[in-house]
Amino acid sequence: MKTNFLGLPLKNPVIIAAGPWNRDGENIRKSLASGAGAVITETIISEPNLDARPRIAYNGSGAQNIRLYSDVQIEGWEREIEIAKQDGGLVIASVSAHTPSELAYLAVKMEKYGADAIELGLSTPMGGALEVIASDPEEVYNMTRCVVENVKIPVIVKLSQNASNLSTVAKAVKRAGGSGVSAINAIRCILGVDIETNKPLLPTYGGYSGVPIKPLGLASVATIVQSVDIPVCGIGGIDSYENVLEYILLGASAVQVGTSLLINGRSHITKIIHDLERWAEERGITDVDDIKGKALDNLKSFEEIKIEPLYSHVKDIDCIPGCNKCINSCMYEAIYRNEDGEIVVDPNLCTGCGLCTFLCDARKLYLGW
Amino acid sequence: MNIKEIAKTSGVSVATVSRVLNHPDTVAPKTREKVLAIINELGYKPNWFARGLNFNKTDTIGLLIPSIQNPAYMEVAEGVEYVANNKGYTTLLCITEENVEKERKYIQTLIDRRIDGIILVSSLLEDSDIQEIKKQETAVVLIGENRGNSKLPIVRIDCFGAAHKAVKHLLNCGHKKIAIVYGSTPMMENNLKIKGYKLALKEAGISINEDYLVKDENTIEGGYIAARKLLGLGDERPDAIFATSDLLAFGVMDAIRDSNLSVADDVAVMGFDNIRVSNLMVPKLSTVDKPLYRMGISGARLLLDVIESEEGIAMSEIILQSKLKIRKSCGHKERIKEIF
Repeated sequence: MKTNFLGLPLKNPVIIAAGPWNRDGENIRKSLASGAGAVITETIISEPNLDARPRIAYNGSGAQNIRLYSDVQIEGWEREIEIAKQDGGLVIASVSAHTPSELAYLAVKMEKYGADAIELGLSTPMGGALEVIASDPEEVYNMTRCVVENVKIPVIVKLSQNASNLSTVAKAVKRAGGSGVSAINAIRCILGVDIETNKPLLPTYGGYSGVPIKPLGLASVATIVQSVDIPVCGIGGIDSYENVLEYILLGASAVQVGTSLLINGRSHITKIIHDLERWAEERGITDVDDIKGKALDNLKSFEEIKIEPLYSHVKDIDCIPGCNKCINSCMYEAIYRNEDGEIVVDPNLCTGCGLCTFLCDARKLYLGW
Repeated sequence: MNIKEIAKTSGVSVATVSRVLNHPDTVAPKTREKVLAIINELGYKPNWFARGLNFNKTDTIGLLIPSIQNPAYMEVAEGVEYVANNKGYTTLLCITEENVEKERKYIQTLIDRRIDGIILVSSLLEDSDIQEIKKQETAVVLIGENRGNSKLPIVRIDCFGAAHKAVKHLLNCGHKKIAIVYGSTPMMENNLKIKGYKLALKEAGISINEDYLVKDENTIEGGYIAARKLLGLGDERPDAIFATSDLLAFGVMDAIRDSNLSVADDVAVMGFDNIRVSNLMVPKLSTVDKPLYRMGISGARLLLDVIESEEGIAMSEIILQSKLKIRKSCGHKERIKEIF
């Protein structure tokens, strides 16, 4: 399923996000070989520092990272890009800096070295400032503008969920001449605290990524698509081909996968792409544009929702032994077991909230008239 | 041992040996290996000066810094050297001692020695000097402003904005009587810092007390003397002192202690530069983080772009971000400000 993103022809919409898995030419080459439509370099900064140890924590569903930046100097990327592209493929350079001119300098260099596009990281969730730059539309405009004026290749800006005004920021990117936005970056977080030692899992605030942030990413993409006419690359918690489709159906032209690769390796990217291609082939879909934004029509305002007399119904399927999730969670006390131990819903007490239909692992419950 | 003997022993022409040394891609691999083997065996080293004359390039740059006693300049120099060395250049370090005549002489000497380019850190040169250098077609890049508007490629920070922010922070900490201790050099940068200081006070409705602007040498001793003057003002003694460099701030802290007062509790101190040892002071020095090393690497990158780029450079001005590094000496109360 091909897509056109930023004027670049992608053989499929799956882009491998910026991260240490793309830290040099050889690793980018491997990422491209996994079948991805494009690959984004680990974020390049003008003064590489030593990495903190440890710098990645994981709690079984989401990951926190602190400062995952390239330790290759900008000069070194001339050689790395050459290595990365020796078998072909699209490489997007992720660059980050604190001022417009510093950012533009890095972008100009990466363009010269052969990058196909630039992604601007303006929203690092760690360090930086208490208020992220990405929440200030004027700052984002100035940064983007300075880069756009100095390079000829497309420029996308990675936006942050830490900003509550995503639409305004995305508009600033468009006004500045940016070719697209990617959303969302990792979110400022503290993954957890060790209650025996009183220590946070990592010693400073970091970026939260992985499956748990997908709902935030989906909402952000839909919001941007519905308010600004600019191509969007969806990011956040993509772990399967279904997740890719969710983002596309909400209007993304392409997506980025990072944490899923971090946890499962590059072969998982190959699997996601393979599954996606199979799904598309079965339906005769060849281009992302055929399905892009199709779910947006079903995204309603609260006023548009029709109130129907729905309540929970029970299918003739066996319960999972010992499970009482639906009974325990029903705050209207509408669900109980009869003398034979079967699940029963009292239609007079059920208010059709729908929670039990999601909690039931046996899919025994559904809403109906 | 000279190139003719290598040629004779290898059975090739002098031109071929020269190509092996300078453009090895253009020589057949077999010949190249044979010549290189003989060069190694006989221990031949090309004459560096002669080479510079031939190629009009010496792979050497000059770096002029005002002082080697100030660690701020050492960090800048470290950045310059790192990039230059990685690209095969040697850096010649010259100390100007904040003396414009010495700076002029050094520049001419370097140009006469055919160096490929010069980096001037906090230069005292006037525009007329810069015009003279430009005539000699030597690549020059500035780190920090010189006197005037030279239109040379430059790496700098916004000293005015940074000082304004620093003084605003002192005001936010509750200090009202804020003095500034500034160095006689670097002149342009300090003028901008004074402007930022004055604006922050004006915005807060505080009139400027001329006794609170004290100038001295940009050294620890200078800071000590300046602070003793301020602390001797009796009832008018300031409750916060903003120093335009960390070195000055160290002297200020020393003077506060010698006056049996407490840094932060009695008199807050804010520095400028964030040199590495500022974190080791007791209490830890709050300061303006000037990205010194990054200014060095960015300056060297700009200079090498000018030297090596045929199509001209893309960016002629790089403004780097400075930020407040809030620690303990400013007397603030919110821990989160130390994290971000």
